[in-house]
Amino acid sequence: MRIFTVLGILFYSVIIILVGLGLIALSLNILQPQDINNLLVYLQENFNSRIVVGLAGVLLILISFSFAQLILGRFQREKTIAFTTASGEVTIALSAVEDLIRRLAGIIPEIKELRPDVIATKKGILVDIRVVLKSEANLPELTARLQDIAKSKIQEVLGLEEQIITRIHVAKIIATEEKKRRELDKQEPTIPYSGYGRA
Amino acid sequence: MHKEESRTDLGLIRIHKNVIASIASLAATEIEGVKHIGKNLKSGLLELIDRQTVASIKVEIDKNDEVRVEIPVVIRYGFNIPEVASKIQENVRTAIEKMTNVVLKDINVNVQGIERG
Repeated sequence: MRIFTVLGILFYSVIIILVGLGLIALSLNILQPQDINNLLVYLQENFNSRIVVGLAGVLLILISFSFAQLILGRFQREKTIAFTTASGEVTIALSAVEDLIRRLAGIIPEIKELRPDVIATKKGILVDIRVVLKSEANLPELTARLQDIAKSKIQEVLGLEEQIITRIHVAKIIATEEKKRRELDKQEPTIPYSGYGRA
Repeated sequence: MHKEESRTDLGLIRIHKNVIASIASLAATEIEGVKHIGKNLKSGLLELIDRQTVASIKVEIDKNDEVRVEIPVVIRYGFNIPEVASKIQENVRTAIEKMTNVVLKDINVNVQGIERG
């Protein structure tokens, strides 16, 4: 399905670029209105070319329609975790669980940035967390702590007994101290002509 | 738009779906732990036009006059979601039944997000 999306995006990009080029050519007088007219007349004169143009039109409509459905369907198909109570059903959007995990960045000071991705599978809830850490962090200790906190927080807030698998991917480590020092160096005032010695 | 109807000696009383949605909205936001009622594309657009805030609450009345309410909510960070959802369901049921005499079949709570309160 991913390849169709890429092809669709490429297709639309090419069409929009062609339209843009046509407009630029028209504005630079490279393309004359007469040329466009000739092309249109040629396309309409010949029966075969008319069929080709008609079919191309139909194809364009179909491609647009299926591409729009593909995109809209993806937005509509929001995944949820659901459970039933005496009064009805409670559904929790997985994006809500992601919000919850995102809040953990505020609890753990070593985390600079946190991007969660939650998937509900048959095995349980799969939580993928991409983190950007500060350099002073001890990775094994921090990641284990983050896994523990994420798991217990989800269980506590959702009240679910399902298995929670947390996977952590450290995407980047930011050297905070080095950065600070560099900033300080930048801010240090320079004395004009300080390089010249006295005779 | 379908309305809940009841007949008295003097005539007919119709309760619009939006009334049920408004009551549900107010009852849901009364619960501690509810940040606000969730939004969808339609309610967002309607809010821009005439500030209608209950468009995201779905009220369905079927042929047997059974009413089903679906409430999207955003919960405050730190609250237990099933507990809050259950309180919403109870409060909404009580409020709607008390104010309209409409008996609800299902009250579905849809937690859309979590925000810091």
